[in-house]
Amino acid sequence: MKKSLLSGISSIVLLLPCTAMAEINISGFATIAGGRVLSGSGVEEFGLPPTFLANYPQVGVYEEEWSFKPDSRMGLQLSADLMDGLKVTGQIVARGADDFNASFEWAYISYQLNDTWTIQAGKKRLPLYYYSDFFDVGFAYLWLRPPADNYTWQIFNYTGINALFNTQLGSWDVSGNIYTGREDDKDNKLLSQFFGSNPVQEIWKDIVGGVVSFNRDWLDVRLTYMTYINERYVTRDGVVERVDWDGDLERRGKFAGISINIDYNDVVLLTELNQLDLEGSKFDTYMVSLGYRFNSITPYISYADFDSDGEVHNTTSLGFRYDFHSSAAFKLQYDDVKDDGYDGLMVAGDSKSITFGVDLVF
Amino acid sequence: MKTMLLISSLLLPGAVHAAIAVVAHPSNQTSLTQDDLVRLYTGKMSSFPDGSSAIPVNLNDSAPLRADFDQKALGRSSSQVKAYWSKLVFTGKGTPPKEVASDSEVLSLVANNPNLIGYVSSDAVSDNVKVLLTID
Repeated sequence: MKKSLLSGISSIVLLLPCTAMAEINISGFATIAGGRVLSGSGVEEFGLPPTFLANYPQVGVYEEEWSFKPDSRMGLQLSADLMDGLKVTGQIVARGADDFNASFEWAYISYQLNDTWTIQAGKKRLPLYYYSDFFDVGFAYLWLRPPADNYTWQIFNYTGINALFNTQLGSWDVSGNIYTGREDDKDNKLLSQFFGSNPVQEIWKDIVGGVVSFNRDWLDVRLTYMTYINERYVTRDGVVERVDWDGDLERRGKFAGISINIDYNDVVLLTELNQLDLEGSKFDTYMVSLGYRFNSITPYISYADFDSDGEVHNTTSLGFRYDFHSSAAFKLQYDDVKDDGYDGLMVAGDSKSITFGVDLVF
Repeated sequence: MKTMLLISSLLLPGAVHAAIAVVAHPSNQTSLTQDDLVRLYTGKMSSFPDGSSAIPVNLNDSAPLRADFDQKALGRSSSQVKAYWSKLVFTGKGTPPKEVASDSEVLSLVANNPNLIGYVSSDAVSDNVKVLLTID
């Protein structure tokens, strides 16, 4: 997982005796996956053909022809250890859903204060759900992708400050973080390209949140909370308009969730329950997955659900993960999506899809 | 030549079955439990029970003892351990232990630094290190 550039550049360093050269570690991950919709209803009202929206924020969309773009991605992480607890890290990600245009999705500095606390500042993933901050690292989880019905929010990064902690309470390991910051997404992909056709600038400001995880042997419990203020601008015919919600130019969102995971004697049970409250409108999500590890093959079944006033959908998934290499896994997954949306809030209609792929880390 | 290869491949699995000796600097006075060991090698603890700083050293994948250590000491397969670390590495929450290629590298590092902890095959233990724990 780690390669040192140091040996390769040591001869250069020797020639530059005055340069303070940090050791730079390069690591990375990749998922190459292909899939297609086997059958689906589409949404007649929107003129949408049979479609499986596998990744909401990135608009990873499968249709009735094989595609290798929606879930495929590659990430490269560069980390420089400046010693005495100071580090700088950047992560460049290229996604098939973006035609593999690479960009820095993480860029932050870390300073370890003591054995318990580390302070980070910069651009990071918003750690709302259990899998949010390692959503791209397929090798780190069971399914082909974290359940799409839960991971639906259009904002997934923020720029700000994060304080991480790590400690012990008796036989429990307790870790977590508190964070604050904002995200200003000039041309939000999900709102501009899937749920609309006009460019949308989506702002989540005054973000304040926290996560705490309790871990003991085979049990892992995680609590999450975040609040923010939403501001939105739409460009119609070249004119920028500020969006209002019943006359209000801003609205407050409050997100809360709990996740309980069990990994006991080769049985894997993964659960999440989350709610976003947007000025009284409730958006409820949950998922339950059950897997059993037969040596290197782990078959699983999963159910994920999204429920709000109007937008209602769920996905039942069946699949397996096969660890054919210590750094790579093959996965095959079947997804059955039911879209029960009403009042024009359908997403992509019903669909049945198949996806397979390989995740690796290096 | 072919016969020799065959014999050595037959002997290899035997070598893997040797016990694992968790080693530290001879001056290390700490008593370590297997729970402490798991915490050190999963990044949940960064000091010995006596409070002094602890830096774990791992063997890399090419050493047969590594898979044995992951399974017997940490209770997970090497790919589970890698999945665990990739979750932490790519979210800025942790850095896996430094890896070296052989028992002899572990022994020389540990013998020269009181903050290091490593593991080697029990039949490779030298007088320059102290065995804190033996895992069968």
